[in-house]
Amino acid sequence: MADQSDVWLVVPVYNEAQVIADVVRNALETFPNIVCVDDGSRDGSAEAIRGSGAHLVQHPVNLGQGAAIQTGVEYARSQPGAEYFVTFDADGQHQVADVLRMLERLRAEPVDIIVGTRFKGDASHIPLIKRVVLKTVVAVSPRLRKLKLSDAHNGLRVFNKKVADELRITLNGMGHASQIVDQISQRGWRVTEEQVEILYTEYSMSKGQSLINGVNILFDTALKTGSKR
Amino acid sequence: MLIQFLLIGTVIVLLVFFLRHHGTTKTAAGVKIGFALFMVLAAVAVLRPADVSKLAEFVGVGRGTDLLLYALVVAFGFATINTYLRFKELELRYARLARAIALRNAEAPKHEDLNVDAEDPARSA
Repeated sequence: MADQSDVWLVVPVYNEAQVIADVVRNALETFPNIVCVDDGSRDGSAEAIRGSGAHLVQHPVNLGQGAAIQTGVEYARSQPGAEYFVTFDADGQHQVADVLRMLERLRAEPVDIIVGTRFKGDASHIPLIKRVVLKTVVAVSPRLRKLKLSDAHNGLRVFNKKVADELRITLNGMGHASQIVDQISQRGWRVTEEQVEILYTEYSMSKGQSLINGVNILFDTALKTGSKR
Repeated sequence: MLIQFLLIGTVIVLLVFFLRHHGTTKTAAGVKIGFALFMVLAAVAVLRPADVSKLAEFVGVGRGTDLLLYALVVAFGFATINTYLRFKELELRYARLARAIALRNAEAPKHEDLNVDAEDPARSA
């Protein structure tokens, strides 16, 4: 297996004490560098991370997933030798094998960022309502169509140092996925996507982003201010 | 009716202006001037209600009271958006502050943990 010491996994964690240690341990078998950003969890997630072999960065208060990803990327990009970055969910729904495939492509092809998609192959395992909503998001977003992206709200992304250095997530909550897509098109990062498998375990289903939250995302995105600070 | 154009026009212009230039000194000054004007108009409306009614008739609203109501609705809407944007901005600064603290206190894994693969004596899940 190729040496993965130039790869950093960024894992935003919020109240995942039940599963985070296993997820980290599983990923550590392949990737030596993992940073978990504990986003002010109240359930002992930090303790679980401390014993797991991952780097721990702790938000003193809960800020939201977008903020946690930004923190993790800032931490990882300041580490010596960091060249490739992966955003990886804490609840165990992403597959290490998918990440490896994406990294292989990122190293070989002239692209800056690869986004996971659930819709390239067979999508029947995705719960129906979720499928309809996610497809609607893509259908109404001209930017996604232009970039030929089929799944904007996939948490699995792999990108290089250039993207990590330029990435600036300012929407602290769940709006960050759309913001990343915005920045892909604004900063001209070369993007492609890769079929990934999401494990809809009972645990991740019970926590999953509620669809109502989509309203919040739309609102935040629409009212994004022009101030660039 | 003239009032319809006026109201919708104001809303659109203010909205675009707000979202594009929020947070600059100019906007802050603009908001203050707008507020002062609003206060002056309020005083005029109290002192000379007949003039307000005349103005209302001119723009196509029945009574001066109705005109005031419309103006109030628009003003309220903008006060709300202004507050919302202010909050967002504060939230962003707050996030940066928290991030700086978090990064300063980052903990690297202890070395024993790295070498242990199968069993982890420090912790069992």
